[in-house]
Amino acid sequence: MSRKLLELRGISKRFPGVVALDNVEFDLKAGEIHALVGENGAGKSTLLKITTGVHQLDEGSIFLGGEPVTFNNPLDAKKAGIAAIYQEHTCFPQLSISENVFMGHPLVSNRLQRIDWKGMHQRTKQLLQELEINLDPKTTMNMLNVAERQLVEIAKALSLDSKILLMDEPTSSLTIQEAERLFAVIRRLRDDGVAIVFISHRLDEVFELSDRITVLRDGKYIGTKDTKEITTQEVIRWMVGRSMDELYPKKDVPIGGELLEVKNLARHGEFREISFTVREGEILGIAGLVGAGRTEMARAIFGITPLDQGEIWLNGERTKIKSPRDALRHGIAYLPEDRQDHGLVLAMDISQNTTISILDRFKYRLLNKDQETEITEKYIELLSIRTSGCTQLARNLSGGNQQKVVLAKWMATEPRILILDEPTKGIDVQAKAAVHTLIGELAEQGLGIIIISSELPEVIGISDRILVMHEGRIAAEFKRDQATQEGILQAAIGRSGAEADAV
Amino acid sequence: MSRTARDKTKFTLTNLSVRRETSLLLFTLAVILGVTLHSPRFLSWGNFHSIFLDSAIVAIASIGQMMVVMTGGIDLSVGSGLALSGMLVGLIYKAGIALNPYLALLLGGLIGLGLGSINGVLVVNGKIPPIIATLGTMSIYRGLIFLASDGQWVSAHEMPSSFIHLARGTILGIPNLLFIAGLFYLIFYFFLSHSKTGREVYAVGGNLEAAKVAGINTDKINRIVYSVTGLLYGLCGVLWVSRFASAQPDTATGFEFSTVTAIVLGGVSVAGGTGQVTGVLLGALLISIIENALNVTQTNPFWKLAIQGIVILVAVSMDGIVRRRQGTKVVREEQL
Amino acid sequence: MSRKRLLVVGVLLVALVFALPAYARDFTIAMVVKGAGNPFFEACRKGGEEATGELGLNFIFQAPATPTSEGQIELIDALIAQQVDAILVSANDPDALVPMLRRAMDRGIIVVAFDSGVAPAGRHLFLNQADMELIGRIQVQMLAEMIDGEGEIAILSATSTMANQNTWIQWMQEELKEPEYAKMDLVAIVYGDDLREKSYNEALGLFRSRPNLKGIISPTTVGLAATARALEDQGLSGKIALTGLGLPSEMAEYIRNGTSEAIALWNPIDLGYVSTYMAHGLLTGTLKGEIGEVVNVGRMGERTITEAADGGLEVVLGAPFVFDIDNIDEWADVY
Repeated sequence: MSRKLLELRGISKRFPGVVALDNVEFDLKAGEIHALVGENGAGKSTLLKITTGVHQLDEGSIFLGGEPVTFNNPLDAKKAGIAAIYQEHTCFPQLSISENVFMGHPLVSNRLQRIDWKGMHQRTKQLLQELEINLDPKTTMNMLNVAERQLVEIAKALSLDSKILLMDEPTSSLTIQEAERLFAVIRRLRDDGVAIVFISHRLDEVFELSDRITVLRDGKYIGTKDTKEITTQEVIRWMVGRSMDELYPKKDVPIGGELLEVKNLARHGEFREISFTVREGEILGIAGLVGAGRTEMARAIFGITPLDQGEIWLNGERTKIKSPRDALRHGIAYLPEDRQDHGLVLAMDISQNTTISILDRFKYRLLNKDQETEITEKYIELLSIRTSGCTQLARNLSGGNQQKVVLAKWMATEPRILILDEPTKGIDVQAKAAVHTLIGELAEQGLGIIIISSELPEVIGISDRILVMHEGRIAAEFKRDQATQEGILQAAIGRSGAEADAV
Repeated sequence: MSRTARDKTKFTLTNLSVRRETSLLLFTLAVILGVTLHSPRFLSWGNFHSIFLDSAIVAIASIGQMMVVMTGGIDLSVGSGLALSGMLVGLIYKAGIALNPYLALLLGGLIGLGLGSINGVLVVNGKIPPIIATLGTMSIYRGLIFLASDGQWVSAHEMPSSFIHLARGTILGIPNLLFIAGLFYLIFYFFLSHSKTGREVYAVGGNLEAAKVAGINTDKINRIVYSVTGLLYGLCGVLWVSRFASAQPDTATGFEFSTVTAIVLGGVSVAGGTGQVTGVLLGALLISIIENALNVTQTNPFWKLAIQGIVILVAVSMDGIVRRRQGTKVVREEQL
Repeated sequence: MSRKRLLVVGVLLVALVFALPAYARDFTIAMVVKGAGNPFFEACRKGGEEATGELGLNFIFQAPATPTSEGQIELIDALIAQQVDAILVSANDPDALVPMLRRAMDRGIIVVAFDSGVAPAGRHLFLNQADMELIGRIQVQMLAEMIDGEGEIAILSATSTMANQNTWIQWMQEELKEPEYAKMDLVAIVYGDDLREKSYNEALGLFRSRPNLKGIISPTTVGLAATARALEDQGLSGKIALTGLGLPSEMAEYIRNGTSEAIALWNPIDLGYVSTYMAHGLLTGTLKGEIGEVVNVGRMGERTITEAADGGLEVVLGAPFVFDIDNIDEWADVY
């Protein structure tokens, strides 16, 4: 029972500009559920991907059953009996359950290497029965709901006789009932001797299910404890860890009149009952877990996706925003979460990206290169963008500088309200500090700023007020001086009593 | 990044967009040199005069294809649309209406504009993938030619000599075809690099989502791109009929592939977002040069198509190699 | 269930529509040509309409959208289902259509090939527009007259695999072996694939690579007209002589302005007209389809059934017709 099946020793992994894992330890025993927790970006997924051979480690070693092993690709790990179920599902929706379960290792009849359909369907049926799922193996995957797909993924792992099962946020899109059903399956697997790594943001689940808990923070190993010997509060403290550092200098800005008020916004399946206001010079932080509906809400306010219901009031006037064009016209700018997919045109240069939303300002719809250069250089200096010049392609900039270009684009529209969605995600510490300072300065100029961030210190550090979203709703609101990381995290994971901490 | 490294980066970057054309130009010159060594009469003013004339029509039509491909689409109806506009103008002459040739050109452009707008509406409002939508209109437009012409040709003797001379005449000593092609290249060079709409075309092609978020009316841009392509191939249809003094129902079958070849040679990324008219012009020229060279050298007809294909592949892969090397160099310098 | 019934009714309706011509009392003659949108066959159609009008028959004209045997096979299959009485066909391939045409003949349908024949097994009679040999030779004779039997000449054909083109070119080469052409030198054969742009460029290639060229023969309309246009564009009209086989309408401009002094072609209207009369004769039993029988061909008088080179039976329309400045005006608007 206590035999160590998998051991990770001194694992380090660097990506360009980021140390994703720094000397991390982890071990796994047969017949246990070992939870791996940490904030977004703590390195959980990277560790998982190293274990499954998707990424290769830079330093450290992996032992399997006491023997050192090297996984050069996912196939190596698969052969060694390690199966993973990722956040984003990797199924083939048009193929049947059987085909998905046996994808990559189909049963074949001996003589002609012909695919043995009958055998595959039978074996799949058997696997599904073991998991107590009543599904026809010939059903195509797109007929199944998310929970059922998840179970098929488990069946797939079982078909490989995997001894180690890694699960990355398996419950993130499941209902409580579906999650409970999944937990029953996971427990049964554990009792059969399978070793399970369980990554989840929902600490209540972690405590309900796991035998041991390991915490990572900023790519570093913090510690491992038996679940029975640690409290939720302690885990949260381990996850948050650091003190408020000087990265977030908060300027005192007089808060003026109301700029934006939203009333009862809702969009089916994404968010509902969203009401809040933003005032001149105010920075409103929005915290919550990934998938809590924050980005969806911001996109709807900016007119990218339509609202199902709710009202938007700007400067005391009810306003309809049907497209980003409308939003820009009303002085709202939105810095999207994914700068490469939604923020930049990588094939265009800095200047072209900066002026893309203000082309209307040029006379006769003709471009004026000098004017463009002038505007761009102003922002290059203001945001200290490190570049060889206005004509450098966005593609060739580092992440932080790319983000600054996106910021330059929106600042160039001279907005009154700026919505920032994870503005410092994936950029280095110095660039982060620069962005924070800049946000403070913009607030000083009287802009109303909404900042969505999964980094609690950041939200707490720069916001005047913080809304916490949980499953599409505002779960709590904190004033600056009342906000604590623990309190926000409690509200974000939907723990009862969180509201009591709120204003 | 040190001062010198910065300057170096600047040097390579300002040249990057030019470099694409440079590699194609060098390749073209190499082809010309090779062919001339083999048969010296290839390199004569008269021969290049015909090469320029020959490339003019495909060059004009390729501007449209370039914009469509740049925005992530493709227009397969170029050949059919060209033929339909040419045939309709031809039928007007056949009916005995003595239309001024320049008015005919305008009319052809308007017909093409209509045809292109239909493509735009199908793709944007109908949400039909461009390849399917234009595959459909390719057949529809071709079918309309048969219906309109009743399967008949319009022959030289049915066209007024003023019209037949449209493709042969000169303006200020420059052959009309070259004059018109040059005019459109100037217009579109200006449009794409100096107008707001042109910039928006690049943005839509480079990143549709980002363009939307930036407040660009991406649907409008897409419709404009298809409509303008229609306008251009409509004009080409009239020029074609004038040049060959004939309108046939099967005119320009497969012509869309010549335009695609020209733009791919010209360095337009099939993934969207990048492309320059100068590259497309060179691409169109190279096609004509290869074809002319194969004729002048009296190459075995069984070999011609294969050689054409090989030369095109070599040109594109050479360009790809040059660009990849250039790209990694820039990134490496950036990381310094 | 009701959807299924609807489907059945729909299919029946469609079948009925297609079956309707079969209920007509008079004989129905169907003409299947190589491809749609070709004025040559539009002229054949005129001839067929003229003859069926005179004889009081129904006439159907069919052409595949692209000139392929597959398209023709589908059309003929449909015509068999419609129970037409006779099929007149100009085949894209002499052999590919034989099985389908045999099926038609087995059902009692008369098959007359014209213009481009099918193998004897797949036809009752073939209307040969003119002797292949004669067509080949006459083009060389015409060109020789234009260039006084002296100088380099070239041929611009359609595709390099087209049987009739190649046969004509063979006979041209035979004719050139005669002593009176000793000073004429065939220096190149190029292929424009019956595409306007390609033919034009091939012609330009000839001008460049053969600076001493004196004459060009192009035994195909597109090639002929494209070459004429190229000659004019290069200012070579009158310097390089041009002749070949072409539609008078397409060549009228160039004959009038002297780029080509004369061209030859048989009359496609007559092709359609005579083949219809041949089918009618076989249908009514006035013809049995034997060598030596005399066929009444309306306004064209009479023709005799002879044995063809391929061993089957044929009727020869006559010598190709020569169009020049004297008669082009009267033919330019006909076909």
